Amino acid sequence: MLKNYPTLKHILGRAGWYFVTFLVAVTINFFLPRLGDANPVDAMMAKASAGLDSASAREKEEAYLKEFGLVQVDDAGHVKRNEQGKPLRTSLFSQFANYLGMSLRGDLGGSILQHPKRVSEIIKTALPWTLALQLPTIVFGWLIGNVLGALAAYKRGVFDKVMYPLALLTSAIPAFCFGILLVYFFGIRLEWFPAAGGYDDGLTPELTRQFIASASYYYILPFLSVFLIVVGGQAIGMRSMCIYELGTDYVKYAKLLGVKENKILFYMFRNAMLPQLTGLALALGTMVGGALITEMIFSYPGLGMAILTAIEGNDYPLITGCTLLVTVTVLIANFGVDILVGFLDPRIKAAQQTGK
Amino acid sequence: MTETRSFDLPTPPPEGIPSSTCAPPSVRRTLPTALALSVMLGLLGLADCRPNQDDSGGGFPRAETFYVAGWQWGEPASFNPLLSNPDWPVSSMNLIYEPLLNYNSISGKMEPLLAESYETHDDNVEVTLNPAARWSDGKPVTAWDVTYTFELGQRFKSLNIAPIWQYLTTVRAYNDDGSEASKEPTLGDKYPRRVVFALNLEKKNPLVVLDALQGQRIVPRHSIEPLLQQRGGSLDEFDKLKFDKDVVSSGPYKLFSYSSEKIAVVRDDNYWGNAALHGGKKPVVKYVVHPIYKSNDHFSIALQQGRLDASCTFVPRIWLKAKKGVRSWLDKEPFFLSSSMPMLLINHKHQPLDDVHMRRAMGFAINYKDIRELAVSGYSEPLKPGLILPFGLEQKFFSEEDTKKYGTWFDPAQAKAELKAGGFTPVFGPDGELIETRDKDGKKVPTVYVKSPTGWSDWESIVRIAVRSMRSVGIDARERFVDASLFWNALFEGDFDLIMNTPSAAPSPSKPWSRFETLMTTQDFAPLGEKMYKNMGRFNDPKAPGYVPRIDELLAQIPSIKDDAARTAAYHELNVLFLQLQPDLPLVYRPYAFYEFSSKHWSNMPSAANPYLPPLTPGDRLGTNMLWAIKPVLN
Repeated sequence: MLKNYPTLKHILGRAGWYFVTFLVAVTINFFLPRLGDANPVDAMMAKASAGLDSASAREKEEAYLKEFGLVQVDDAGHVKRNEQGKPLRTSLFSQFANYLGMSLRGDLGGSILQHPKRVSEIIKTALPWTLALQLPTIVFGWLIGNVLGALAAYKRGVFDKVMYPLALLTSAIPAFCFGILLVYFFGIRLEWFPAAGGYDDGLTPELTRQFIASASYYYILPFLSVFLIVVGGQAIGMRSMCIYELGTDYVKYAKLLGVKENKILFYMFRNAMLPQLTGLALALGTMVGGALITEMIFSYPGLGMAILTAIEGNDYPLITGCTLLVTVTVLIANFGVDILVGFLDPRIKAAQQTGK
Repeated sequence: MTETRSFDLPTPPPEGIPSSTCAPPSVRRTLPTALALSVMLGLLGLADCRPNQDDSGGGFPRAETFYVAGWQWGEPASFNPLLSNPDWPVSSMNLIYEPLLNYNSISGKMEPLLAESYETHDDNVEVTLNPAARWSDGKPVTAWDVTYTFELGQRFKSLNIAPIWQYLTTVRAYNDDGSEASKEPTLGDKYPRRVVFALNLEKKNPLVVLDALQGQRIVPRHSIEPLLQQRGGSLDEFDKLKFDKDVVSSGPYKLFSYSSEKIAVVRDDNYWGNAALHGGKKPVVKYVVHPIYKSNDHFSIALQQGRLDASCTFVPRIWLKAKKGVRSWLDKEPFFLSSSMPMLLINHKHQPLDDVHMRRAMGFAINYKDIRELAVSGYSEPLKPGLILPFGLEQKFFSEEDTKKYGTWFDPAQAKAELKAGGFTPVFGPDGELIETRDKDGKKVPTVYVKSPTGWSDWESIVRIAVRSMRSVGIDARERFVDASLFWNALFEGDFDLIMNTPSAAPSPSKPWSRFETLMTTQDFAPLGEKMYKNMGRFNDPKAPGYVPRIDELLAQIPSIKDDAARTAAYHELNVLFLQLQPDLPLVYRPYAFYEFSSKHWSNMPSAANPYLPPLTPGDRLGTNMLWAIKPVLN
């Protein structure tokens, strides 16, 4: 029935595969953090047990285990025990079943370390900062990097001789190192920009001109610390892609026909851009994972730190909630690009239409 | 459409189409959309974490705001006073809720807060409330609130206050005329102000009761109990309340706003203590703001830039920051006032650590001076053996003579002698590196692993120095840095040879007894693999042949000894037992919480030269009082 709609068939086929990938990823995301020896209650007890004698500390530990569904509970709400009187742990599979049930209802559960906060609340407050930092850096960095790379490849000469080493330099500096240098020179020595934070300590987040001005001012260094690196990396990639394209027959032919330089540049750009587009999708997909290093160097708000502390403290619901978010966005971004590239690149489109 | 299709066909595209329309439409449209989306999301999120209570906006004026940091590291989650670990400023702070008394760790005295006085009797501790003490809704703080708060610990065993009940039989309210008040609050203006804490005479320990009087914050019965009843009396359900608005409390500040970047409290101008305790003055500081930083360096940078006024974090090489106005309690070494002892706990159930010669050899082997100078920036007085601090309030229990006679001071020759006495023979390779240690039967002694959490850099350096010193005298020790989440379980279950820990760190009236008790008590003794939250090294097993009952006797007696000389003698005896048996290895001294401040925006901060308060950041117990005493620096 779908034979007459090869494109639709292709899209549905891809979607099916993505769904399978999604299921596998969710399963792995669930089990991986729980396979270790430690559990979140141990870390909590480190603080909670201070001053308690051992018997009450054990009781408190059981109360936590019960609260987070890590031990089996009978109908009367009492913890089930084995012969030695130790509480029976909930099996991983029943936890998984519980998790799937909750996820289907759109409930990501409650955080353990930030009890009684819900995972969705934590993500909701951190995500806007992460997106505000990551999306413009990735999109602008990608665009500008690609234009610079294409120009360098096409123009050669002085422009290339200056741009290429610079791009190599910025792309080769590790992000943390570059960030620290920026903080040291512009935040501490010169004091041109604030060294840390998302906005002035004296303000609270609200939609006032004062707050937006402050947030923009605090945004500059973290933005630059990622942006310049993205530009460098993209420019180098694009430059080599374009050099390859310049050697192809269609460019030579166009030149022979006397087609305008801008036009040739544009065609070349378009062809060379295809692999870069896949890279962009991946970057956009993983961006919700947060720029952990940037967040740490600048004490910038965002999801990265939430994920790190969740992993350190075995906060299972928060880990699974965040990885679920990352999984979904990576898959959607990839799916989008898969489809988009099909439309943009006739070679792939042709392959799809013949069903190969 | 032709445009999109034609770009890789060999025929040139038709002329005349302006190049500006040539960008692939898909990309051109996504860009602005994506950006608009990100901005929109941003605004949505920001609008979402606006302050809970209304304010005029425009932020915190610098001249009325005090910035303090280091207590809260993660995103704030709950300000519920019954949680075991609520966020700043509820947990161990006096800004919102208040304890009965305040412990002054310099004078050793208890200072009044909700209680105007207290008396220790032979079989009870009696407290009288300040008649002026009021909740923020205007109702008086009554003896019923106090009995209620403590009795919550009888109802719910998981509360922090629960363990005190092994030392108490009852907590009762009394009227001014000495008659016992009704158990349930009565209507009317009259209310009881006296509370009697009856000691459990079988386990007589007024010290831990005093600890609780200055540590437990009193909650309002008339506000907490109805909330609890609405939830069917279930603490689990009650714990889900965040207490972030319309809270009834007795302290000088109220929660103002919180987000993942900071928590702010605002002055309550109707605070009862302004008139009753501070001569009618209001605190100078209107807002106390606690920014949440994600990395340790930011405290130091923020202090130097004057964005932070005080911090309780480790700031390395503080003398280099003095020219930027960053100061600590003292202006010269050791810079801070120490009150705790980071140490290596020894597992007495593991070979060869069950041998006292091996433990003492370790004590002699470790280079304490290197640890003090290299690992902790010199922020420690030179270490003297034993469990009693040789300075401050504990000095009166310290005996220089005993430590000289029995203590393990750094001395590699003595360490080697102890090894020999225990029949241990180190085997060194041709390069002088230790290969293994052998016992008296010539068998290899198991390698001793020293556990510490990865990434705790000061502890890591301490452990490296200790391991290097031990190896150089012939003890086969190695570092083992483990994930913090595995660390705690290992500590409680006894899954270690040696492990880093700071026992009973917070200064309190029961020091140094509580330090001894945490390390040496045999109460609730459990085998390896089961959890013990005290004496994690399983020292002095009551069922094993070498049991020393004297230690438990002394631990039980000391708290109720009234005679000073007798108490000092008992401490001497207990400390000598510690020195002789070396159950654990104290390494260095450290403040419970560091105390650094910037003189840029506020002056008259307490310091060794101006010690009107102990070195505590504002909000931290008695340190709260500085909010009335500091002065803004006029620029």
